[in-house]
Amino acid sequence: MTRTYTPWFLLAVALGLAAIYLFPVYWMYVTSVKSGSEIFSNPPTFWPADPNIGVFGDVWARRAMPTYLWNSVVIAGGVTAITVVLGTGCAYVLARYRNVWIDIGLFCVLMLQVLPASVMVTPLFVGFNQIGLLNYPRTAVVLAAAAKAMPFFVVLVRATFMSVPRELEESALVDGNSRVGAFFSIVLPLARNGILVCAILTFMSAFGEYIYSKSIIQSPVLQPASVGLSGFLGPNSTDWNSIMAYSAIYVTPILAIFVILQRRIVAGLTSGALK
Amino acid sequence: MSAEPQIELIGIDKYYGSFHALKDINLTIPKGQFVALVGPSGCGKSTLLRSLAGLENISGGTMKIAGALMNGVPPRKRDVAMVFQSYALYPHMTVEQNLTYSLRLKGVPKEEMRRATEEVARTIGLDNLLHRYPRELSGGQRQRVAMGRAIIRHPKAFLFDEPLSNLDAALRVHMRKEIRALHDRLGATSVYVTHDQIEAMTMADHVVVMRDGVIEQQGSPLDLYDRPATRFVAGFIGSPAMNFIPARIGPDGASTVFDRPDIRSLPIGKKLDPGREVIVGLRPEHIAVGAADGAGMTLKVAVVESTGSLTYLTTEEPLQLTIVMTGRTELAPGDAVQVSVPSAHVHIFDAETERAL
Ligand SMILES: Nc1ncnc2c1ncn2[C@@H]1O[C@H](COP(=O)(O)OP(=O)(O)OP(=O)(O)O)[C@@H](O)[C@H]1O
Ligand SMILES: [Mg+2]
Repeated sequence: MTRTYTPWFLLAVALGLAAIYLFPVYWMYVTSVKSGSEIFSNPPTFWPADPNIGVFGDVWARRAMPTYLWNSVVIAGGVTAITVVLGTGCAYVLARYRNVWIDIGLFCVLMLQVLPASVMVTPLFVGFNQIGLLNYPRTAVVLAAAAKAMPFFVVLVRATFMSVPRELEESALVDGNSRVGAFFSIVLPLARNGILVCAILTFMSAFGEYIYSKSIIQSPVLQPASVGLSGFLGPNSTDWNSIMAYSAIYVTPILAIFVILQRRIVAGLTSGALK
Repeated sequence: MSAEPQIELIGIDKYYGSFHALKDINLTIPKGQFVALVGPSGCGKSTLLRSLAGLENISGGTMKIAGALMNGVPPRKRDVAMVFQSYALYPHMTVEQNLTYSLRLKGVPKEEMRRATEEVARTIGLDNLLHRYPRELSGGQRQRVAMGRAIIRHPKAFLFDEPLSNLDAALRVHMRKEIRALHDRLGATSVYVTHDQIEAMTMADHVVVMRDGVIEQQGSPLDLYDRPATRFVAGFIGSPAMNFIPARIGPDGASTVFDRPDIRSLPIGKKLDPGREVIVGLRPEHIAVGAADGAGMTLKVAVVESTGSLTYLTTEEPLQLTIVMTGRTELAPGDAVQVSVPSAHVHIFDAETERAL
């Protein structure tokens, strides 16, 4: 009896937890199309009585969203590119060589993860100011956020590389390839799925980056959407449906990308590159 | 088969940190020879093979392949092929792509590559599997692909690291013959690592027995069987293993006396210092059962095991010996048997150095 019901029970718990997390997303979409009075009605309505779709177009134009979103894409793209290129190389070295220096390196990389962005932002700001990087604020944010994203990426991709048997590489060497050639023709294709997953996660978290952008980028035309959203949230802001509409426009592309690519990744993983 | 050396190892040393993995290895392999490296786990067989492939850097000595100095030369410039125990097939490539990987790296023209693939596929019986991925093959088929990937290159030497240990017993016996036949057909030079002495004995022209990073003895299989240089080689080569009995050389210098008075002394067919502490080695298949010229000793049978064609006896009191008899026997546990060993088949090792005397 218990054996047959336990999985179902656990599934129900998992769904419940997912619902707690996903409910705000639903609430965001619903609120964005409600009228001002309906938002505050008690009891709340779970489905808008009179959906006002026009709010999206209105917010899109009024809040200069194309500029903000473009900046978010530029920053997230830059962070992902730097993290993937440098992090992959770093993860490979950390996976393949074992000695004291590598352990120290790994420790330092993990250390980066411990330091919160809110603590790091002031010293970074001062440092960037000294070398004149603040004249290129988006570049500065990309560098700072890439450093922040690196540990997570390196640790996960390192595990992926470690799952690729060393003998495959050695076999490629004996078959006449160089170390670099063996890396690109054998190791990288086999670690591709892991790297892809980590790159997507990096992109998505960089797309929502806030702390560095807020403090480093002063000019509104260079700010990402996360900072643009916070401009909305004043102490006496009441324009809830506009804020929710902004948020909806902001997260929908990420959700869509995630859903689309996740299917691809799962398909890739189950077809089994290894074994 | 010419006698020019294809592989020359002179005084090879290899350290892993402070661990001395290979100690002064000297080995010359003529072109066309099939050499087996045997020894217990951890004795350095794989290390030696990987050093030959260039996957490990040797710490000292001289290594030559086809006359060219190989010290410090990267694997891709050595022109040797290696078959790994795990086969190390590239999982993201089809069988065909696995086979042609090395040719593609060399920039061999498409047409030539296709011909080579077909020929190899026919040789190893993979014609209809070329478009499968390794995960879609059985263990034996994977093993063949690994072989094919090596032979398609016509390398200067083949290196095998326990290539059959993942196969079942029947397939192993079959592949043993097939690999040896392939070696002969290609006129290749092969170094074959195994911990299975039967594999080494049946396949190789030359067997190298290693122990703790040292070459204990090398020679033809029958040489090692007939004239083991040390007690270790004597115990390692031959199955079931040789019986060892501690003893002393008798006053006449030509026979051994045992510590137990109820064991008769044994003529050894040579002269040694009387009173010297020795170990007597008797191969199970050399012990004759039955009243042989009255010179034997009487022992009690403890266990009788029959395989149909062979019978294994284990004796007790006063001496525990393993004996192999051909055919069958009426003997039962508890029976007394007369055993004797011709003096030509008595091996004597020094008790201290364990070297053959
Ligand atoms: N990378 C390494 N670092 C340190 N020691 C090593 C390394 N590789 C091998 N060794 C040591 O060298 C010795 C020889 O190892 P090797 O792999 O050559 O043994 P082997 O004869 O192939 O054994 P097996 O039959 O189990 O494969 C072992 O004691 C092993 O612990
Ligand atoms: Mg080994």
